[in-house]
Amino acid sequence: MKMKKTILEVVNLKKYYHQGRGPFSLGRGRQRTIPAVDDVSFYLKENETLGLVGESGSGKTTVGKTILRLIPATSGEIFFDGKEILSLSAGEFHPLRKDMQMVFQDLDAGLNPKMRVQAILKEAVRVHHQMSSPEVDDRIRTLLEQVNLKESKLGNFPHELSGGEKRRVGIARALAVGARFLVADEPTSGLDVSIQAQVVNLLKDLQDRLGLSYLFISHDLRMVELVSHKVAVMYLGRIVELGLAGHIAHAPRHPYTRSLWSSLVTKESREVSAPTSPGSSGDWGVFDFERSFSGCRFAPRCPVYQEQARPDICTDPVSEPQLYDVGRAHKVACHFPLS
Amino acid sequence: MTGMKQYAQASLMVTDPSSRSMWKQAAAIDLLYVGYGLFIVSLVVLSYILGSLNFLPHNPQEMDLSLLMAPPGVAGHLLGTDFMGRDILSRLIVGIQAYFVPGLLAIAIAITLGTVFGVLAGYRGGGVETAVLYLGNLVDSFPRLVLILLVIAAFKPDIYYIMIIVGLTNVPNVLSQVKGKINFLKQKNFIEAAVALGLKNRVIIFKHILWYNCRSLFIIQATLGMAEVILIETSLSYLGFGVQEPIPSWGNMVQSGANYLLQGKFWLSTTPALAILFTILGFHLLGDGLNNILEGRRST
Amino acid sequence: MSETIILRIENLHTFFYARSKQAFVRAVEGVDLEIMQGETLGVLGESGSGKTITALSVMGLVSTEPGVISGKIEFSSKGLQQNLLQDLDQYVQHQRKNGRIMAVQKDCGGWQRKTERLMGDIRGKEIAMIFQNPQSSLNPFVTVGKQITEAVQLNTEIKNSREAQQRALHWLERVKIDSPRLRYHNHPYGLSGGMCQRVMIAMALAAEPSLLIADEPTTGLDATIQAKVVELLMELKAVLNTTTMLISHDMEVIGRLSDRVAVMYGGRVMESGSVQEILRSKDGSNHPYTTALLGCIPEEKHIKDKITLQAIEGDVIDTMNIPGGCRFYPRCNQKNDRINQSCKEHEPALKEISPGHWVRCWLYYDE
Repeated sequence: MKMKKTILEVVNLKKYYHQGRGPFSLGRGRQRTIPAVDDVSFYLKENETLGLVGESGSGKTTVGKTILRLIPATSGEIFFDGKEILSLSAGEFHPLRKDMQMVFQDLDAGLNPKMRVQAILKEAVRVHHQMSSPEVDDRIRTLLEQVNLKESKLGNFPHELSGGEKRRVGIARALAVGARFLVADEPTSGLDVSIQAQVVNLLKDLQDRLGLSYLFISHDLRMVELVSHKVAVMYLGRIVELGLAGHIAHAPRHPYTRSLWSSLVTKESREVSAPTSPGSSGDWGVFDFERSFSGCRFAPRCPVYQEQARPDICTDPVSEPQLYDVGRAHKVACHFPLS
Repeated sequence: MTGMKQYAQASLMVTDPSSRSMWKQAAAIDLLYVGYGLFIVSLVVLSYILGSLNFLPHNPQEMDLSLLMAPPGVAGHLLGTDFMGRDILSRLIVGIQAYFVPGLLAIAIAITLGTVFGVLAGYRGGGVETAVLYLGNLVDSFPRLVLILLVIAAFKPDIYYIMIIVGLTNVPNVLSQVKGKINFLKQKNFIEAAVALGLKNRVIIFKHILWYNCRSLFIIQATLGMAEVILIETSLSYLGFGVQEPIPSWGNMVQSGANYLLQGKFWLSTTPALAILFTILGFHLLGDGLNNILEGRRST
Repeated sequence: MSETIILRIENLHTFFYARSKQAFVRAVEGVDLEIMQGETLGVLGESGSGKTITALSVMGLVSTEPGVISGKIEFSSKGLQQNLLQDLDQYVQHQRKNGRIMAVQKDCGGWQRKTERLMGDIRGKEIAMIFQNPQSSLNPFVTVGKQITEAVQLNTEIKNSREAQQRALHWLERVKIDSPRLRYHNHPYGLSGGMCQRVMIAMALAAEPSLLIADEPTTGLDATIQAKVVELLMELKAVLNTTTMLISHDMEVIGRLSDRVAVMYGGRVMESGSVQEILRSKDGSNHPYTTALLGCIPEEKHIKDKITLQAIEGDVIDTMNIPGGCRFYPRCNQKNDRINQSCKEHEPALKEISPGHWVRCWLYYDE
């Protein structure tokens, strides 16, 4: 098999938010630093999909937006097609936008409520390409055919479209510029089950036909497993496990990954309607950034930490677990990886 | 039966929503509003044109001392004459001159500055937003009438000075609305998506934000602004600070006519008062109707 | 499980009127449901299936006009037996064409007043409801403990505030909120989404209702939190034996919590039966819609063998343009020559294909 080219590589990406005091606020409120993305590294091969999973607040969307430079990164490097993009000026980066696009979680994103579908697509086609009117019409027709949308929808305003149709227009808009790499941010959330399947099938179909690469961000573990070649699991801004989709789903090494997947009920276990084993889903509540943590950030919810009688290394501030290779292209950040 | 609500035959035909125009979807009442409003606006514009061409039934300044306070219909004076024997109809038509250009100026100031600051605050955010909002609050917290009287005291009672103040004090209003629109689009990830697509900032601001999403707001602001201008001039005239005699304005006509109300010469002040009433009503209904049609309040 | 029917919905119609489109939104058009004492009925459906509107109709909370226009909702518990839509006919007149309601006259105000009188003693006390978005359903200015205490005082015999407070704490404990005494004094914004959902459940249960309606109780929560809420509901079901109408679009949730399932599509029940027969059917004797829905969920075989999902063609039903004939026909992938004509022209009735398993499909009619 021919070695595939690496299309995207993210190295030590960090994004810190400073939640500070307003210019006129009084009192002693101290400025807090929130690590939305904390030292994240991964790469993506051409025509492949990397799934990025995690709960809300894990920073997965921030990673996607930082790659597209919609949010400035705090530090780190991002290579697209071997070219570092974070150091480029806005003008230098602009032409790259035709190669990398985003499918936003919000179905209405990018759809100007006062413009018809035709005008929306026409604008997208023309942003990076000089084309004559008939060429644009041709291109729009091709796009509609690619995303399987009826031509009669061209005359509609966004609010007249159903959720599935809006999603298709959103994808068509991203393809209109000729993107090769898509950040798909929760592309199925907010859609009905039957429509979710359509969208996932469409994305896979487009990948086969056009050779696209995806960064597939989702909290729907099944969908991620279905579409991704590799999966990265994020917890509070950090990748805690990274590996082939099948390994992550069926042989997780990080306790968090296991609790994520065990929260899913497979069809088989639906038959025995027994509650999942206690402790497997971790502790209650969502982590708040306000609480300072030391060492492993999953420790407060970690069942292994409890089982191991709270070993000191897990909460030792200087030894936050780093990703390390456990073989078979599988990496995990845990002091006590599961076997 | 009373209290029953009738629901029309439910249509089962597949209708393509795009084939229905915006106007058909609007409720009949909105069309009525807009129709009346447009009628008033065209009367105002017509009056302005007639006034500037001096195409009037009588000379508005010509005093006929033999016909003081003649009731309507006497000697060719359709609406009667005032306390100096001047034709009321002609003065009404010319009176619009006092508002028209100064009013447009006030509206232009409010919309231009409001848009600039609104875009600055909404689009840039951060410190600029804070600064602009503080400035807006500062302007808002000044009682407008006091500000106007201060300017009149410092300079002179000129309608242009007044209207500049009116325009400036309306800036925060427009600003916050433009900013609201931008925030709405931001919330829907619209601006982020446009940037991701590779659109230039000026395209996003001028085409998407201002042209597509703020134009209805501007139209509505303009209609309501005109009504406000007339009202403010009226109140100032009543205090004696508005347009000064002998130049007619509806405000000073009401004010001077009011002295003769007790003598039973009601048409002196009632006619311009009614003109004010119906004109303001017209502008307001136009603004309201346009708002409902353009922003789709009723159609959802 | 006893065989007492607690709630029986018969041929319920709830419509709205879309002024801009000059058409009816046929949110619920002929729903039949039965809930037995002690069971959990899962109502499964996509958006536009009318599942939430059915629940709101039962609660008498449909305020958009014309609202409920026809049908029967019989509620019976603790010696109380009542048709919640009693005297509805007095306020409504409608005309039918081809068996479907095409025009309606309704005295909405009169009916609303009547419903308020009728539902006053039932809503919250006999039938309680848990809504989606727990955070927005709680009063942000009142501590959660106080809100539960108020629910206890309002809906049960306990009027004494000290006792009610004890009761509220008991319920907070019951829904497994850790350190309930501390949480009692928290405001909703201090709690996570999962916690708020627990508080909502506690509030609903505090009234000790005969029927609990849970509308999408897990939607919008994180995966691990969802699992926890489902676990809690399962435990409560085992301990309290509450009769529940569980509304969800999530087959996993329905599959784990329900005894019986009703599958809704376009305002009508397409299939109902035990959870085994519907979601774990071995022989595939389901309504084509149910079969297709199950095919949309990725399973082991899809992932292992890289098979594409069997998506249902077309879009979610437009409730303003429900086709004559079978409402699923345009998206159905099991239509064949034998029944094609019937599918297009007539809507089938529910047919009992095995005891307790009802299906609305021409496939199961022999001609």
